[in-house]
Amino acid sequence: MEKSLPSPTTQNPFSAFIKNNRGVLITILCLLLLPFALALVDGQPISSVLANDPGQSKFYQGLAIEIFILAIFALSYDLLFGITGLLSFGHAMFFGVGAYLTGIMLKSFGWGILPILCLVFVAGVIMALLFSVVLPRVKGITFALVTLGLAQVFYIVIQSRELADYAGAEIGLQGVTPPDFLNPISQRLRVYYLGLVVLFLVYFFYKRFVDSPTGHVCVAIRENEDRATMLGFNTFYFKLVALIISAITAALAGAMHGLFSPIIRPGIASSHYTIAALLMVLMGGIGTLDGALIGAATFRLLSFWLEKWFGGASQVIIGLVYILLVLFLPYGIVGTWRSRQLQIKQGWSNLISRFTGKRESV
Amino acid sequence: MNTLLGSFRKNRNLWITLIALLIVFVLAIRGLTDQEAVGGERYKNVVITILRGFSTGSIIFLVASGFSIIFGLMNVLNMAHGALFMIGAYVGWTVAVRPDTAVDAFTPIALLTGGFMLVPIWDRLLDKREWLSRSAHIWPWLGLILTLVVLVFTLPKYPITSWDVGSYEISPVNFAFAASQGILEVPEAEQFVGISPAIGLGGIILGGILAGITVAGFVINRRPATAGASEAEPFPWNSLIYCLALIALGLLVHFFNTSISNYLLSLDTTWLFILAILVAVLTGAALGILIETTMIRRLYETHFYVLMLTLGVNAIIIEIVRTIWGAPEFTMHRPSIFAGVGDGCPAESFAAMMEYKCATIRVLGGRVRTYNELFIPVLGIVVLIAVWILLQRTRLGMIVRAGVQDSEMVEALGINVQRVFTTVFALGVGLAALGGVIGAPSTGLTTTLGDSLLINMLVALSIGGLTSFPGAAAGGLIVGLLQQFIIKYGQIGINIPFMEEPFKPTPPLVPAMTVLLMVIILLVMPQGLFGRKE
Repeated sequence: MEKSLPSPTTQNPFSAFIKNNRGVLITILCLLLLPFALALVDGQPISSVLANDPGQSKFYQGLAIEIFILAIFALSYDLLFGITGLLSFGHAMFFGVGAYLTGIMLKSFGWGILPILCLVFVAGVIMALLFSVVLPRVKGITFALVTLGLAQVFYIVIQSRELADYAGAEIGLQGVTPPDFLNPISQRLRVYYLGLVVLFLVYFFYKRFVDSPTGHVCVAIRENEDRATMLGFNTFYFKLVALIISAITAALAGAMHGLFSPIIRPGIASSHYTIAALLMVLMGGIGTLDGALIGAATFRLLSFWLEKWFGGASQVIIGLVYILLVLFLPYGIVGTWRSRQLQIKQGWSNLISRFTGKRESV
Repeated sequence: MNTLLGSFRKNRNLWITLIALLIVFVLAIRGLTDQEAVGGERYKNVVITILRGFSTGSIIFLVASGFSIIFGLMNVLNMAHGALFMIGAYVGWTVAVRPDTAVDAFTPIALLTGGFMLVPIWDRLLDKREWLSRSAHIWPWLGLILTLVVLVFTLPKYPITSWDVGSYEISPVNFAFAASQGILEVPEAEQFVGISPAIGLGGIILGGILAGITVAGFVINRRPATAGASEAEPFPWNSLIYCLALIALGLLVHFFNTSISNYLLSLDTTWLFILAILVAVLTGAALGILIETTMIRRLYETHFYVLMLTLGVNAIIIEIVRTIWGAPEFTMHRPSIFAGVGDGCPAESFAAMMEYKCATIRVLGGRVRTYNELFIPVLGIVVLIAVWILLQRTRLGMIVRAGVQDSEMVEALGINVQRVFTTVFALGVGLAALGGVIGAPSTGLTTTLGDSLLINMLVALSIGGLTSFPGAAAGGLIVGLLQQFIIKYGQIGINIPFMEEPFKPTPPLVPAMTVLLMVIILLVMPQGLFGRKE
């Protein structure tokens, strides 16, 4: 692995972008080909994948769409918690607002997709402003408790009997029919690619945001808020910006969930869902946007397989994973990889040299 | 007068908030008084609602006080506190309704704990042994595997006569129903099947000892090479004594199992209830010690990770409870001195209540449940005073108060803060378990019990101040009163001017109002009513 330093004259922005994001671009390419690869493994003709015939490929596309939605949700939580350092226990409220607004507007009012998306954006901003009322006064754990309380109220309200006609009480919102061109059953491949596009648009936007001056101030606030204040930044505005962006993204993920899943359960607005986002971010690595994606994929696949193998006991195992992760892998997958990159490479080359007898230099 | 004015100036926000709360409270009382009734009966609703508020507040306080002491001293936000409260309720239910199962379960737990008690001895014996240190990274893991193998083969074989969540006839729901009718019936005791009792019991003891060796191995490996168990310290003989005592007790209970079960079953439910409280508190304290020493101790420096860790513990406990006791809701009967319904009931006076052991007492023409609305608040006040004395008048309390101020300084003064931390954690979890078993007869037992209480408790603590003990009491009381007043208004409605129908608050408004109050108070006073200013 030798890296030639790019000379500034020959570098154009496009090739620099490709060079810096090689891993991500390869991942996108793999995901683009995934439905067809799965069909090939299963012995299904390509044409039937294009026609959205049922099969293994279609099933795993559905799982992948769920992962995309969770990944967007985890990204938004990582921006709020990992980058800006605001510990919120009410993040699922944004997701729930997005999902329920989409469902109710489609089912009861018959709105189109675009107006709904605009509404969801506005709702996300309003929710963020609601949270921000307490932002300048309370810090740290108290902020977490306030957000927990507010989200809990929302969770109880959507389950109430008075709203049963719209939100479906404890059972959840059923019978939402998404428009034909986005139907998750008959047009799954299209939904899959759309989800992929949205996910990576959000991802690159977030990467750009974190690299921007505003993002740097957010990181500074996480590291030491007093010092950021002393340097002359009004930290409230920066926290508010991060909160609004995060809320809009989470609401967008919620809207996608509302369009994709057959039942919108009230559980998506509960504190357990926020904790799930926390677990995803923790698994992937706090404050490393890549980690949110990897964490979401790991979390969903892990819970999928655990449920398949252990049934009801899977929650115990997820709890155990939580504890073991905190005790032995506190920086998550990406964080540990980054801090041990050199050691891991050394270990691999040692291992290879044992078989080949040659010693590679790293 | 001067001092009062000075105090007012210093804590202006606090006084204004308190006065505003008082005005709201008086208005709420005025709204509840029945203008048509005569004499004392006018205040029937008010008295009952306030008593219910005290009851709810007492349960919240019992849990919140432990939580706030733990948070203040150790900076550990224990999100598993609600789940541990739930464990207290379920363990208490087991002792009160199925004492035979509790007796059966005692033996394996005592045997395992007895073996585990030997950790300090193994630590001393195995540390700095040349032949061990060469394989230091392997043998604890081998010990762990061996422990698991031994326990997997012996522990499930131990006969515990219990219920079956799957079949209705012997489900917890059915036993709870029978107990509420005053029938304590248990199935026939099971015996060892397919394994001789000596091997079964010996295997469990062996498993406990192996687990102790394993833990000692991990402890030795984690210790820096220079530090070691100091040779100057006396040999830990007392842990050997604890171990032998526990194993002897466990075996004794095993051999007299049937007679102990029968004796417990023949007891009055009041005595069983007292026993249930004791067992639940001890279980809570033991769990607290276990969680603190094995997990939280490693992460003191990183508070956020402790939070994550306790969230994981919370999920595991809830799932274990669901596996053992099942998801359906069931009830716990009240002890017999608060359950009488026959002649002389509802009691007209306090003396009559004691005489006839009434379930209800007549106050100002309304019925007050003696257990829910008299016993629980009284117990809450007793615990409040007891913990207050513990904090203000004992050496431990002095260390805790000093530690809340500055725990590094306390450590620098040569006090074993580690041991104080463990004690306080055990105490806090024990208080939560006490709250659980006391609250169980009034709230019923569900697997969501812990979560809903955790939210209430966090709201109460935010209102009162996170690390303040009086704050926990005040916050619990405010939340309890607010909830009960809104529930009462939900029944009778509020007459709002210019509206035809009286406005009736719906159930979702109960938590919504408490959270609203929390947000308002935090906006005025970010550290809570009685919290320390940053």
